[in-house]
Amino acid sequence: MSDVSADRLAEIYRTTYRALVRFLYRKVWDAERAEDLAQEAFARAVVHKPENARGWLFIVAANMARDEARRAARERRHLTLLTAESQDGTPTSDEVFQEEQERVQVRAALEQLTPRDREVLLLWDSGLSYSEIAAHTGLAPGAVGTTLARARRRLVEAHEAGEKGEHVARG
Amino acid sequence: MSHVDDGTLHAYLDGELSPPEAQSVEAHVAQCPACRTRLEEERALIARAGELLAQAAPPDRELPPFRPGDVKLPARLWWQVRTPLAWAATIALALGIGTYVGERGVPPLEPTAPGRPTIIADQLARPAPAPGPATASAPDSAFAGQRQRVAERRLRVSKQAASPAVGGAIEEKSAADSIARREAGPLTADGYLASKAAASAPAHREMAQLNGYRGTVKGPPIGVDSARLLLGADPLVVPDLPVRGMYRGRQLGYSAMVIVEQALDSTTVIEVVNGRPSPLQLAEVVVTGAGEARRDTQSAGARALLNTRAVDSAAAAPRPAPTPAADEDKAKRTASGLFVEVRGPLSPDSLAALKRLLRPLRP
Repeated sequence: MSDVSADRLAEIYRTTYRALVRFLYRKVWDAERAEDLAQEAFARAVVHKPENARGWLFIVAANMARDEARRAARERRHLTLLTAESQDGTPTSDEVFQEEQERVQVRAALEQLTPRDREVLLLWDSGLSYSEIAAHTGLAPGAVGTTLARARRRLVEAHEAGEKGEHVARG
Repeated sequence: MSHVDDGTLHAYLDGELSPPEAQSVEAHVAQCPACRTRLEEERALIARAGELLAQAAPPDRELPPFRPGDVKLPARLWWQVRTPLAWAATIALALGIGTYVGERGVPPLEPTAPGRPTIIADQLARPAPAPGPATASAPDSAFAGQRQRVAERRLRVSKQAASPAVGGAIEEKSAADSIARREAGPLTADGYLASKAAASAPAHREMAQLNGYRGTVKGPPIGVDSARLLLGADPLVVPDLPVRGMYRGRQLGYSAMVIVEQALDSTTVIEVVNGRPSPLQLAEVVVTGAGEARRDTQSAGARALLNTRAVDSAAAAPRPAPTPAADEDKAKRTASGLFVEVRGPLSPDSLAALKRLLRPLRP
């Protein structure tokens, strides 16, 4: 199996595209951008025909998201201004506002994880197996469970702490 | 028997243990109440973490169709690597517009008329009579002299732009831009952006996204499938030229725009602009815009990269007006309803020839 046929890639696309978008979204936090990057990853897979297309796609996506994050860091001030504007100007329903708040809290909790813990958690949530995660991160296969256990605990704890902090701030 | 560690419990709950390993965990849990309790705790933890992650998910949209086209991307990361020439061309393009507007002192055309922007380059090359106030002034000696100076400046700038001293070109551009703003009357979108870009050095990246095509803003790179979705059709490209990348474009009057970069050779990049006009603009184009628009085959800045002799000769001896070509108006709008333009540092004839070659990316 030296490369991937178009049919095989189409199948991977069908089963993996959404997971890849989700994975990217939790890195760039912009749904449209995440979709663009996922499309790019698949476009490159068509050209490169990688042997293990699924794992390859996530590695490429992770690299693109990292480059994206660097670029975003340079433009952060600009973006902050834009965000502030749109929040001021756009009336949102309670429900949308609530969802947005929840997203912000989960994002804040995720950002308290170490990069490796976060990566393992996001990859697992995207449907990768332990062995795929091990190959992606360089962890020993036996260490994936331990890392995942720690990542999940920290995510839940950080999220609870965030909620508590908010209640204190409100009350 | 020792207790089961957290990692093994999670691997067990995730279904990632081999059957013998799983059996060994089950055997231990069956006779160890402490581990049984922990197993349930970890199960709840996994469920909770999953819930939280689900709250941080993008909106679930329909799966875009997968069409593994015959896209040819270079092995390198083409969205990161831009050739120095492309960078120089961008500066020169921006300068070309500023200079042109400043020189003519004509209020800029409304960017809402698709295609119209492209009039610029053509008139630089051929200052010939044509409908509309923009071309009404016949070339006289003073005018020719002005052209000469513009040509000289352009030559100087294109040299600077090609050299590492990009800063000089930006200053030069900034000067031209300020002239444009002073004389051009209402500020156009790209005039504003260009002046913004010139205003601060860190903002020069914004300028790199600007394009010689008036009012066109080059957005993020996109994939071929996104391009198809945006346009509702296959983007037109020059067959057999490697596609360096596709970008989402924005321009007033177009509901969707895709800019395809193709490499002519190792140093020459052309852009094929595919635009889907918004429905409201369609009528307007047919009535007023298209006749002028089609005469353009070259963007202003592209010319700045060329040997300026063409500009000089055009200034000295204006060629007759291009042949009216209503049929080409039709050709400009393709069967799929897209408007296309080919841009690049080439002669108008070459660009026109390339344009005739355009074919859908995948028939």
